[in-house]
Amino acid sequence: MIEAHELTKDYGSVVAVRDVSFSVGAGEVVGFLGPNGAGKTTTLRILAGFLGATSGSVTIAGFDVARQSLAARARLGYMPEAAPLYPELRVREYLAFRAALKRVARRERKAAVGRALEQAAVTDVAETPIGQLSKGYRQRVALADALVANTPLLILDEPTAGLDPNQIIEVRKLIRELGKSHTILLSTHILPEVEAVCDRALVIARGRLVAEGTLAELKARQKSRQSVIGVHGDAARLEAVLRDVPGVRNARARAARDEGGTVELELDMADDAEPDRTVERAVAALVAAGAGVRSVGPVRASLEAVFADLTRDEASEA
Amino acid sequence: MSGFLAVYRREMLSLWVTPLAWVLLVVFLLLQGTIFYSIVVHFTSLADLAVETGPVEAYFGQESVFLLMTLLLICPALTMRTFAEERRSGTIEALLTAPVTPNAVVLGKYAAVLTTYVVMWAPTLLYVVVLRRTGAVDWHTVASSYFGLFGIGAAYLALGTLMSSLSKSQLIALLLAIFAEFGLFVLGVGEYVFEPGLMRDLCAHVSMASQMEEMSRGIVDLRRVVFDGSLAAASLFVTGRVVDSWRWG
Repeated sequence: MIEAHELTKDYGSVVAVRDVSFSVGAGEVVGFLGPNGAGKTTTLRILAGFLGATSGSVTIAGFDVARQSLAARARLGYMPEAAPLYPELRVREYLAFRAALKRVARRERKAAVGRALEQAAVTDVAETPIGQLSKGYRQRVALADALVANTPLLILDEPTAGLDPNQIIEVRKLIRELGKSHTILLSTHILPEVEAVCDRALVIARGRLVAEGTLAELKARQKSRQSVIGVHGDAARLEAVLRDVPGVRNARARAARDEGGTVELELDMADDAEPDRTVERAVAALVAAGAGVRSVGPVRASLEAVFADLTRDEASEA
Repeated sequence: MSGFLAVYRREMLSLWVTPLAWVLLVVFLLLQGTIFYSIVVHFTSLADLAVETGPVEAYFGQESVFLLMTLLLICPALTMRTFAEERRSGTIEALLTAPVTPNAVVLGKYAAVLTTYVVMWAPTLLYVVVLRRTGAVDWHTVASSYFGLFGIGAAYLALGTLMSSLSKSQLIALLLAIFAEFGLFVLGVGEYVFEPGLMRDLCAHVSMASQMEEMSRGIVDLRRVVFDGSLAAASLFVTGRVVDSWRWG
């Protein structure tokens, strides 16, 4: 449904997005994950046809967004980041305008607006001027806007930003529901969101795609590699002890957190090492060397950890 | 031109549900009423009734400098929000990611302000109706006068729409439009300043006051129509390019 090929976008000397390539298949719900300022919004704006890429290409349902822009845009429903709306219009008026703009046939417009109102749960404010709505409602009106033309593809830029926890749950439920009949690409910097609604995630940091895969793949990738052990003792000596443990490729002390002298040692395991056994051996070696082992981090498997790791590596490279 | 009608209707709705159009309409009619009243009072005090012109010609023609002054206030205020407001509030992103062409957006917005402009002038037809009760009215000159006003409005509003696309601030869009339109007006005054020659011809050609003077006497010069039309078309064309260029910002 979406094919992005080596997208690059620079603003003068600032490169916002660098060589980003990915594809989203029909029927998938994909999370576009990254810290603030990583290039999520820029990438989505390129996909939606609002910005032109400096180089690279994108096709939406087979249509090039630069050369067959209208055809591409007619096939996607886009919800911009801050949910910009006309405050002077009533919700129903606004959606009727958007339906007309998106070429919904005149006689189907009323039904389309009614359906979008219902799907986004904003029927109760249909006759209210948008300027009087709360942030949560405005966000859902923008979502209704993305839905009104019933396009096969939805691109949602931070659809839950600014909502309260109950509303977030509602919107996620809605997205899961929509995912049964639509292809969805949604951006977020909130990890549980991806775990809650997405089949697959793309991770972007500093304008580059740093990881891509199903949630299970991303977690598995993390599991075989690292562990963290909190010890009390001389960091440099214990690093050396750990490096001698079979299966350990490297060990390094993280910056000490001032919690009564606990040093966190980060353990990189060899690709062929068996993680659980290696951790056991490492702890035994540390104890034998006279260190006080205070904590052994569970082999980190949360997406949070993957994310932190991937985006931190990028940062230190730059 | 997909999307033209939707943009036009949305723009009309937004213009008339917010106070802006109504405030402008009231200010406009107050000013026009005052001007017209003074002209009628002036004519009724004339001892010699054998004058060549009547109040209608004076209103649209010889005294048109007042009328143009109100246009220099009203037109920039009508167009200032067209693009500036969309860009400030971010709604431009939703608008331009819908399957519409930049030209359809520009023309839809322009048609809406032009319609509003025509609606503002419509009540002034009553002045002519009032005059008709006391004497003959030459409907031919009335028609050509309104045609002249339409031409000037078409040009000013297109210029204002272009200015609105150049800034995210309504205030700056307003000032730019006043500057451009007032500049055009002042250039027209040059007709009475320069010695006969190229500059004087040029100034006479672009003079909105002279245009109204001619049209109020029933003279529709094709050159005036071409000037207004090409100024409007060129402004709108450039606006379309500007809107398209935001993709590459």
